[in-house]
Parts: sequence; C-alpha cells; structure tokens
Amino acid sequence: MNNETKNIIEIKNLVKTFDDRSVLDGINLEIPEGEITVIMGGSGCGKSTLLRHLVGLLTPTEGSIMIDGENIVGISENGMNCVRRKFGMLFQGAALFNSLTVGENVALPLREHTDLKDTIIQIIVKVKLELVGLTGFEHFMPHQISGGMKKRVALARAIALDPKIVFYDEPGAGLDPITAAMIDQLILDLSRKLRITSVVVTHEMKSAFRIADKIVILRKGKILETGTGAQIQNSKNSYVQQFISGEPDGAIPLMQTSEAYLKGLLET
Amino acid sequence: MTEFNTSPGKIRGFFGKIGQNTGLFFAGEGRLFDLFKSVVKVFGMALIRKKTVKSEHVFQQIVLMGVESLGIICLVAVAVGMILALQAAYQLKQFGAVLYTGGLVSVSMARELGPLIAAILISGRVGARMAAELGTMKTQEEVDALTTMGLNSVRYLVAPRCLSLIIVLPCLTVISQVMGMVGGFLVGTLGIGIDPYMYVEKNFDALVIKDVYTGIIKSVVFAILIALVSCHEGLSVDGGAEGVGKATTQAVVTSIILIIICDCIATAIFYYALPG
Ligand SMILES: Nc1ncnc2c1ncn2[C@@H]1O[C@H](COP(=O)(O)OP(=O)(O)O)[C@@H](O)[C@H]1O
Ligand SMILES: [Mg+2]
Repeated sequence: MNNETKNIIEIKNLVKTFDDRSVLDGINLEIPEGEITVIMGGSGCGKSTLLRHLVGLLTPTEGSIMIDGENIVGISENGMNCVRRKFGMLFQGAALFNSLTVGENVALPLREHTDLKDTIIQIIVKVKLELVGLTGFEHFMPHQISGGMKKRVALARAIALDPKIVFYDEPGAGLDPITAAMIDQLILDLSRKLRITSVVVTHEMKSAFRIADKIVILRKGKILETGTGAQIQNSKNSYVQQFISGEPDGAIPLMQTSEAYLKGLLET
Repeated sequence: MTEFNTSPGKIRGFFGKIGQNTGLFFAGEGRLFDLFKSVVKVFGMALIRKKTVKSEHVFQQIVLMGVESLGIICLVAVAVGMILALQAAYQLKQFGAVLYTGGLVSVSMARELGPLIAAILISGRVGARMAAELGTMKTQEEVDALTTMGLNSVRYLVAPRCLSLIIVLPCLTVISQVMGMVGGFLVGTLGIGIDPYMYVEKNFDALVIKDVYTGIIKSVVFAILIALVSCHEGLSVDGGAEGVGKATTQAVVTSIILIIICDCIATAIFYYALPG
C-alpha cells in the first residue's frame, strides 16, 4: 500500500461477544480509500458480524470504528444516519423489497433522502440500472427476476445515492460461477470507474484473487493474515494454504469429534 | 419415598416456571412500550414534517385490511346477534318480557360484543398477516436494508400499519355493532315473532349514545394494541421460517389476551368513571 492512499475505515480493537461467546476478538483493520478490500474466512468466522458492525447494525462490545473520520461507536441514531448516507450495502440475499418493483426499489433511497423531482429520479434509476446491465427492467417485480439479477438490482440500489463506500456480503453466494464472475466484474468496474471503496466479504478464493487489492483472512474472530493477493498466495500459514487450495484435510482435520468441536467453540 | 422427596422441588419448579413466564411476558411488554414510544414519536414528527408517514402506504393498508375482513366480520356479528337474541328471549320469556330482547341485544352488541368481535377477528386476520409480513422481511434482511439506507423501520413499517388499523378497526366495529343488531332483528321478528316496529323501537330505546362511543373508544385502544403487538412480534423474529411461524402465533395469542385484559379495565373505567 502506498502512502498516498488514506484509510477511509479504521477499526481498532473491535470485540463482540454474544452472550459470553466472543465472535469478534480484537480486530484491528484499516481499509484504504478507493480500493477493494476482501475479507475472507470460513463459514461462521464472523465475517457478516464484522460487516454489520461497520454499517451500524450491531454495536461493539469494545473497540472503535472510524468511518471517514467519524467514530460510529456510541454515535446517535441521527448521526449514524448521516454516516449511512456515505455508504451502500449489498446484502447476501439481495434484500429487495418484494412489494416494490425493481425501479421503485432503486428509487427508494432517492425518494426518501432527496427532494428530486420524480422525472429526475426516473432518469437516475435508469442510469443506475444501466450501470449494472439491467436496462429496461424497471417494471419487473423482484420475484420475476433471477437471483443474479436481484443482486444486481440490489447493487443499483446500494449505489443510488453515489456512496463513497459499498459493502458486499457474499456477493457471489448462491450464484452460478459465470453470474458470480459477472458480479465480480461489476464490483471491479464500479471501483475503478467511480472510485468507490469496496469492502467485500466472501469465502470464495477465486473471486477474492480476481478483485482484491487487499485481502484480510479472518479466523475465529481474529485476523490471521493481511496482504495483497500475491502475498496471501505465498503465505506460509498452513490454514491459509488449506483455505486457498480447498483441501478437505489439513490444518483443520476432516474428521472432528463433537468434543473437539465443542472445545473449539468454547475457545473462540 | 423418593416421589415425596421430589414433589416440593416439582412444585417449586412449576411455580418457578410460571414466575419465569410471567417475567418474560412483562419483559416483552416493556419492549412493546418502547415500540409504542417510538410510534408516538413518529406521529409527533408527522405533525411537524409532512413527508414522515406516507398517505399512500396508509391508504393501501386500509383497503387491504378493510376489504379482506369485512365479510367475515359481518358473518360472525350477525351470527352472534342471532344467538344473543335467542338466549335473551329464552330468559326474558319467564318474565313475560320478550319484547325487551331488542334492547338487550343492541346494548350488548354496542358496548361489548361489537368491538370485541371486530378486534378478535382482526387480530387473527390482520395482526397475523402483519407479524408474518414483518417477520419475513426481518429474516430476509429487508429490515436491515432499510436501516442501512438510513430509513427508520418504525416510521416506514410500523407507523403506517398502526395508523391504518386505528382508522379501520373503529369502522369495522360500527359495522359489527350494526350487523349484530341486524342478526338480533332477524331472529326476534322472524323466529320469535316480535312485531318488527316494536322490535326496532325497543332496540333504539335502550341504546344511549354512550354505548356507541365507549365501544368505539375501546376499538381504538384495541387497534393500537393489535398493531403494536403484531409489528413487535414480527420485528423481533430471528431464525428462519420457524421463527416467522412462532411470531405469527404469538402475535395473535398476545393480542387476544391483551384485548380481553384491556376490555376488562376499560369496561370498569367506563362503569365507575362515566356513570349514566
Ligand atoms: N445475533 C446473534 N446472536 C448470537 N450469535 C450470533 C449472532 N449473529 C451471529 N452469531 C454467531 O456469530 C458467528 C459468526 O457469524 P457470521 O458473522 O454470520 O459468520 P460468517 O462468517 O459465516 O458470515 C456464528 O457462530 C453465529 O452463530
Ligand atoms: Mg455471512
């Protein structure tokens, strides 16, 4: 990372416990502006939980989170809503509103947060949908389009207010490899063309290496390793290697006794 | 002997469980009160800023709720009115006062049964739907999506539902009161053979304006209860489809319990505080 890029998000000593079980255990992380940071790790390691802290859906047990120079821990609801104007989020299941059409979904943040006239909102919606390759889909209902399309609509909605940052929770989950690659390409395009900072949570190696400027490997609520794609690929850590190669057996044994599993849970 | 030894423990366990459930129930009501406060705040804001609660959302909800429940409320209210007339006539016959059937039916429909029938049916139809709808939105992260867009879920989801129910339920209550009297009229005239003119006269003689408006005041309270309980249950769903199912049942059960409790309290208040 060169010195010119500023960190738009800084997480310091973030700890989260859900009734005695710590899910995030002292996370320290900086996310550089205008780049794509990928947070990676096995299922249940706390990726979504980390992301939910960044968007203010969860409050940390300990630690601080700075977004664009503002500490969002202990901030008022109104203050948080101001910060929320700076980012968009793409949820794992797209989270489109099923009673609204595709166009209305994208228009919603514009309607609620700006005083733009309806005709102008329609134009912005068209542009955003075009950006994600869905020209002319305004009048479809969410249940009429495929999973990949839903994700793209959700992405159009996330960037409706021209945010500085977009968070993605498992953008490729539940999609076929080609559609997933298409979404990856969109993330890349948005980041490069619009200089949007992207924070992507995923467990898919391929996609991570394709898009990441910086990769963060999470394990059991702790950061195991940070680096560029190449650095991670050449990592000496056996867990990271097992994760990259996708071998069933390695640092994590294939066969786990239930006692060992429970012990593992207690350790985290 | 061991059985005797365990029984005190069992009893303690039993009462402990009751205590625990009561505690949970009231803890739940505490959170319900928080939701109530946020809704009041949203309505307060709506008076200042016009954009806060969207009229089209409210209108849409009103049409949905009103139209879908009208038929069933008419049916049940007519049936209850008929039952009431028959039972009243059966007792009044002993005093040779069958003529007063109309008055008995109209007063009990207006004060008690009209509001209660409408509220209980609405909690089963509309309340359950609200809880299921919001619960599904919660599990599909739609509520979180609203929040991350900086949109207040109480304002956007709860307030329109509350407002529409406050408008719809009193209307349905009036319909239910009237239909109950119609049911009574049918049985009284066709079944028991009271002169229609006399029946109608007795029906309205007994009725004072207070009977009608206490019924409507009650229905407003019931509307707030149903909307808050159902939205609260829906929004506190976690875990998938099973959670939604549980929340839906819980919404109806809690609504009905609270409706009956509030009805007791309201009736007592009207009896002692508003005599005449
Ligand atoms: N609201 C919650 N209450 C209790 N435990 C939770 C909650 N949310 C997440 N967890 C736990 O935190 C851990 C990490 O979850 P998550 O962040 O969703 O993992 P993932 O990395 O797969 O996205 C899981 O073990 C999960 O059970
Ligand atoms: Mg996840």
